[in-house]
Amino acid sequence: MKSFMIIGQFVPGTSSLHKLDPRTKMVTIFSFVIIVFFANNVLSYGWLALFSLALILLSKIRIPYILKGITPVWFLIIFTFILHLFITREGPVLLEISTFKIYEGGVIRGLTISLRFLLLVLVTSLLTLTTSPMEITDAIEELFAPLKKIKVPVHELALMMSISLRFIPTLLEETEKISKAQASRGVDFRTGTLKDRMYAIVPLLVPLFISAFKRAEELAMAMEARGYNGSEGRTKLRELKLTNIDYIAILLYVIINIIFFTLRQ
Amino acid sequence: MDIQFKQVSYTYQPHTPFAYQAIRNINLSISSGEYIAIVGHTGSGKSTLLQHINGLLLPTDGEVQIGEYILSSNNKRQDLRKLREKVGIVFQYPEHQLFEETVEKDISFGPHNFGIPKDEISKRVLSSIEKVELQTNFLEKSPFELSGGQMRRVAIAGVLAMEPEVLILDEPTAGLDPKGQIDIMKMFYQLHQSKQMTTILVTHQMDHALKYADRIIVLANGEVYMEGNPEEIFSKTNQLQEVNLDVPEILTLIQDFNQRFNGTIRYQRQSIAELAKEIVEHFRENKRL
Ligand SMILES: Nc1ncnc2c1ncn2[C@@H]1O[C@H](COP(=O)(O)OP(=O)(O)OP(=O)(O)O)[C@@H](O)[C@H]1O
Ligand SMILES: [Mg+2]
Repeated sequence: MKSFMIIGQFVPGTSSLHKLDPRTKMVTIFSFVIIVFFANNVLSYGWLALFSLALILLSKIRIPYILKGITPVWFLIIFTFILHLFITREGPVLLEISTFKIYEGGVIRGLTISLRFLLLVLVTSLLTLTTSPMEITDAIEELFAPLKKIKVPVHELALMMSISLRFIPTLLEETEKISKAQASRGVDFRTGTLKDRMYAIVPLLVPLFISAFKRAEELAMAMEARGYNGSEGRTKLRELKLTNIDYIAILLYVIINIIFFTLRQ
Repeated sequence: MDIQFKQVSYTYQPHTPFAYQAIRNINLSISSGEYIAIVGHTGSGKSTLLQHINGLLLPTDGEVQIGEYILSSNNKRQDLRKLREKVGIVFQYPEHQLFEETVEKDISFGPHNFGIPKDEISKRVLSSIEKVELQTNFLEKSPFELSGGQMRRVAIAGVLAMEPEVLILDEPTAGLDPKGQIDIMKMFYQLHQSKQMTTILVTHQMDHALKYADRIIVLANGEVYMEGNPEEIFSKTNQLQEVNLDVPEILTLIQDFNQRFNGTIRYQRQSIAELAKEIVEHFRENKRL
């Protein structure tokens, strides 16, 4: 299970993508998400695809790992493609199989929409692959800091987020441990009717919830014991700071976008 | 049931940047009715090794044979329930697996899954709660209102109620009070002797390994580092130190004593009290001379 999903997983490394300030990565990637929707011809799509490929190469993460890791998304992408292939009726007919007609417009739309989808997933998963959860929450807290003026509890929200992210691997580990223990006592999670399998989850969920609540309680006590009382007057251990590599990245990104907008029609 | 490991390796999360080979090229054979201790520094692959014995993990390379079951990477689909009924595992911190409303239901959970008839289950529940030295009035309580040590005992009772042929214990006494540790270890040993139960104990306490095991297997970095009876293993002090393992205090004491006072005391699984008597005896005899 673990080896299949890489979405949201962080792969530590020292590539230049890893070294970028998380704020730079987040701002550029979220603007990229919007920009993808502006592509409207082969050249502009090609340019964005090239840009995404360059990012993957820069991250130094092995391409097969990324492609395999987004397996669940592949199904969606292929499904979208097929859906558009059959539904769109524009342009000349390319192929006729008994009552089904495939139009040129369908192929084009299917391709562009799936490509768009693929680019979005690839680039956003690059964000989480190269940025530790801690950095992401730090960046969110910084980026949303202005909202503190209108009494949004930005610090507390960021803290909640980082705690949840911190405990995801722990919970997964715990799930694995408990399911192994119960499997040893004869629970079968894999076979049987749907009803059987739903019952098989109870011995897994109960211990999991209990330990999660216990952990939360202990964590709260430990934080209080160490004098935590919210954001008031709190200084930071890790200060985010833009460096030269960030300025270069931003500059490159702007240039790439200028080229993009001249390429599109 | 005899257990055989043939060139077994296991890699966690293969084909990812997180791939980690936890055990490699393990060859072992454990005969029916043996008491084996597996020792090794933390992270040496002990728990990984154990989980191969009831098919929780399938080897990425090589094969494991348990009785008539053969487990290897290419036979994924077989019903392992029969195997799991015969191989009981007490995991590290087993109290985390409790989930039922009452202690009684939790202990019955395993036997119930394996299709044991109801009246047989209630017999087993009673006998196993007795073995772990809890009173029968605990049966009606919720497992979550018990203390940590009591929860541990309930969890162990849950595995004993399966009446396995092979009992695997992954640090069963970690975190128990000293008296509780001794009691539980004695209970496992009695079970081993009375039912000829194959027992595989993972422990960080060398004196437990020394006292109970017929044979000790030392793991280091996922490989079998040494193997032999306790006397052999613990005589190789230097080799043990290399993998951060200690020699039990009682052995060091006997050795130092023999050296210093010209003694001839041999370790024969005696308790501290018995050893003290032997020492007194030694001085008495020497005075007479
Ligand atoms: N689910 C897992 N995914 C990835 N790596 C794992 C997993 N479980 C264990 N490992 C790694 O495999 C190695 C061996 O782990 P194992 O639990 O077998 O050690 P151990 O000898 O039982 O240690 P301990 O004495 O601390 O219980 C460790 O380095 C551990 O980090
Ligand atoms: Mg272990």
